[in-house]
Amino acid sequence: MLSEGLIVLVRSIIAFITLFIFARLLGKQQISQLTYFDYVLGITIGSIAASLSVDLDSRAWPHWVGLATWTVCVLLVQWLVMKSSAADKYFSGEPVIVISDGQIMDEAMRKSRFTVSELLEELRHKDVFELSEVQYAVLETDGKLSVLLKPEYRNATIQDLQLASPAGNMSLLLIYDGMIVEKNLQLSGKKMPWLKQQLKSKGIKDLSEVFLASYHLESNTLYIDQYKDKNKTADPQLI
Amino acid sequence: MMSKVMNYILPITLLVFFILVMNSGDFLKQPRGSQDNVIHYLNQVENEIKQQEWDTALQEHQNLSAAWDKIVPRIQFSVEKAEINKVNVNLARLKVFIEVNDHNAARAEISEIREHWDNLNK
Repeated sequence: MLSEGLIVLVRSIIAFITLFIFARLLGKQQISQLTYFDYVLGITIGSIAASLSVDLDSRAWPHWVGLATWTVCVLLVQWLVMKSSAADKYFSGEPVIVISDGQIMDEAMRKSRFTVSELLEELRHKDVFELSEVQYAVLETDGKLSVLLKPEYRNATIQDLQLASPAGNMSLLLIYDGMIVEKNLQLSGKKMPWLKQQLKSKGIKDLSEVFLASYHLESNTLYIDQYKDKNKTADPQLI
Repeated sequence: MMSKVMNYILPITLLVFFILVMNSGDFLKQPRGSQDNVIHYLNQVENEIKQQEWDTALQEHQNLSAAWDKIVPRIQFSVEKAEINKVNVNLARLKVFIEVNDHNAARAEISEIREHWDNLNK
């Protein structure tokens, strides 16, 4: 008989890769817009994967079917939510206004089971320490609080100050790990001879010497980071 | 083409492979030669017990245990460990019942082994 460790190893690999594929299938929503329902789903799916991995007293297959079924259910819900706004409201809930013009909306708070201390804590996370400064506070479906301050308490923007806006900060990665990123080179509108010329001017003879090179679109400059660092160790005087 | 392979073909191939591994028990418990035919040796043991040929029954029991030991590593990834353990216990008890010439108890153990055998991968 093979050792239990080996069986767990194989089943864990099956569970890990399956979970990875299913998580990719579910998309980024699972991570970036974690609603309470998604959170519970994540725990359930994780729990089934754990059983698939180490519960040797039952076959791997029923756990795998459970994992697949839950994933399909989530996909179905995601599809429904995409297709119908009514389904979206039903599954994800609706954002709730909890502060309006500095006043706490007690009824909305009670329905959302959101306490005043939680509200104040979320406000402090947003650097708001005074309720009267808030024009609107909205409790989002993922449990986060969005806050709109009254105009007099908002930070001044470049537009408010009527200043000229600086150029954007877009950079394209042209070389990574000694390999040219062809797609970005095309996007930058530059050609290979230009890139080679730039490298040559920095004393770089071969691409393999370059760890990373990024091209800044607005300033038309190339940032190069070589494998052979000039400063091998940090100067203790500077730390 | 490469992204198509990575995004679709590789994951689907892996999932299909996993499904086959997890359901391979019924296929892999079938004999690949004459030495690993569990059902054949189980029938042999049963016949010898019916005829009260206890010495031969004990020899056939050894063959049966050897056949089972060959099957177990093949099916371990797809069947319940508890089911394997139950068959191991049945085989150990069957040996003792043969040694003490207990016809009824030995037949009952054989019946239970058959039941567990059928339940593997179910």
